[in-house]
Amino acid sequence: MNFWDFLLHHYTEIFSATLDHLILVLIAMTVAILIGVPLGMFIVHRPAFRAACLAIANIFQTIPSLALFGFLIPIPFLGGIGKRTAIVALVLYALLPILRNTYVGLTAIDPAVLEAAEAMGMTSTQILWRVRFPLSLAVILAGIRTATVITIGVATIAAAIGAGGLGSFIFRGVALVNNSLLLAGAIPAAILALLADFLLGQLERRLRVT
Amino acid sequence: MRRSFTILLAGILAFHSFGCGRPAIPRITIGSKFFTEQVILAELLAQHIEARTGVHVERKTNLGGTLLVHKALLSGALDMYVEYTGTALTVVLNDDPAGKDSAAIYRRVKQLYAERFNLAVTEPLGFENTFAMVIRGEDARNFRLQKLSDIAAFAPKWRAGVGYEFLERPDGFSGLTKSYNLRFAAQPTVLDLGLLYRALTSKQVDIVAGNSTDGAIEALHLTALIDDHHYFPPYYAVPIVREETLARLPALRGALADLAGKLTAADVRHLNALVDVDQRDPAVVVRAFRESRGF
Repeated sequence: MNFWDFLLHHYTEIFSATLDHLILVLIAMTVAILIGVPLGMFIVHRPAFRAACLAIANIFQTIPSLALFGFLIPIPFLGGIGKRTAIVALVLYALLPILRNTYVGLTAIDPAVLEAAEAMGMTSTQILWRVRFPLSLAVILAGIRTATVITIGVATIAAAIGAGGLGSFIFRGVALVNNSLLLAGAIPAAILALLADFLLGQLERRLRVT
Repeated sequence: MRRSFTILLAGILAFHSFGCGRPAIPRITIGSKFFTEQVILAELLAQHIEARTGVHVERKTNLGGTLLVHKALLSGALDMYVEYTGTALTVVLNDDPAGKDSAAIYRRVKQLYAERFNLAVTEPLGFENTFAMVIRGEDARNFRLQKLSDIAAFAPKWRAGVGYEFLERPDGFSGLTKSYNLRFAAQPTVLDLGLLYRALTSKQVDIVAGNSTDGAIEALHLTALIDDHHYFPPYYAVPIVREETLARLPALRGALADLAGKLTAADVRHLNALVDVDQRDPAVVVRAFRESRGF
């Protein structure tokens, strides 16, 4: 059957896989933001931690994603197969863009603005929350945007460890030499990534301080 | 000086590239699908052929599902692989197994493969590997489940785990649920074949479509349910070879005939267990097996 017939017959399955996929991504991104942004703020004034944190996040990003998923399988509690392990791997993968952009956003501020804030008598914590953070929102969001697009793509690999999502169509399509199956996974994933990129891009523009 | 050196070098290279009559070693490629037993069988054929005929064998194992390996065979990327008669009939030939016994299925596959694909279906290796619907041993004991027709009442509370191919095959999931009137809680979870039993034991799924010769079934105290409606056709393992390859290397026929009928399901289950459960290397396991049997 051709691709359109396939879509007609399987749209509920595709829809539920898309939903599964979105949920994986949303949970992973939420956790990654909750860890990455505060951590980025934390390392602004602590150079010793900065090197270590950025290095560790960097390492997780360089591990090939399929290897990272497989690696986590035998680990107790965090591991096993299924959605929970997939989310752990996705969080680790999304960490670097968020962490790095948060750090860079918070530190690449016009020194004149920081001097003015100091002159007004603000403590470094006050400066962090009231000056650095608002001014860096656009850059932080750019990091979140990058991480989201990456996560939507990497989440397709999660199907290899039984987490479901659109990746399962892709794996099935490859194994069975069936392009309809493959595209049924690849096209919605690509659309999701493009949509996320567009929407977050709009938000980023809104938050940019000229 | 440099000129004579260049001439000498050119001469040596020409000598090598035009050969000095060294004989080309005949080579073939054996493929396998993406589960342990297939890797073991490919290794067995490869080692036996190498020992018996001196043909050099390249192993391309864990390629993918049935159709992928079949297409690779048709294209010549592979010379041979081990298929199962029921799978050949339903998945590759899209034929109906109803009303045919295993001998009839074998004959039909052999005939159609020769006619349509110019592929030789050689003699069966002697064992069957059918789909086994496997549940946890504790569930089998607690609810007294032995046959597939016992589980209809439990299906709505259960999740099924299947490999990629089982969901799509005509002799797979949808036919099974119709034959036994099974309605599961949700769409089956689709997993890599190697992860199915792990998902079962960690209770992420409650029933999986495994293979009857899987070594892990006994080792993990799982129960394979009896197919009392005989929904699944027979799946006898048989090497399939390109006619072209047999014409090129007739010695292969004799090597394959050596193996006809020599493997039992118990043998294969044991080999699978050594690799899957004891984590031994397939090549080492096969070599030891061949020595013990005098192949």
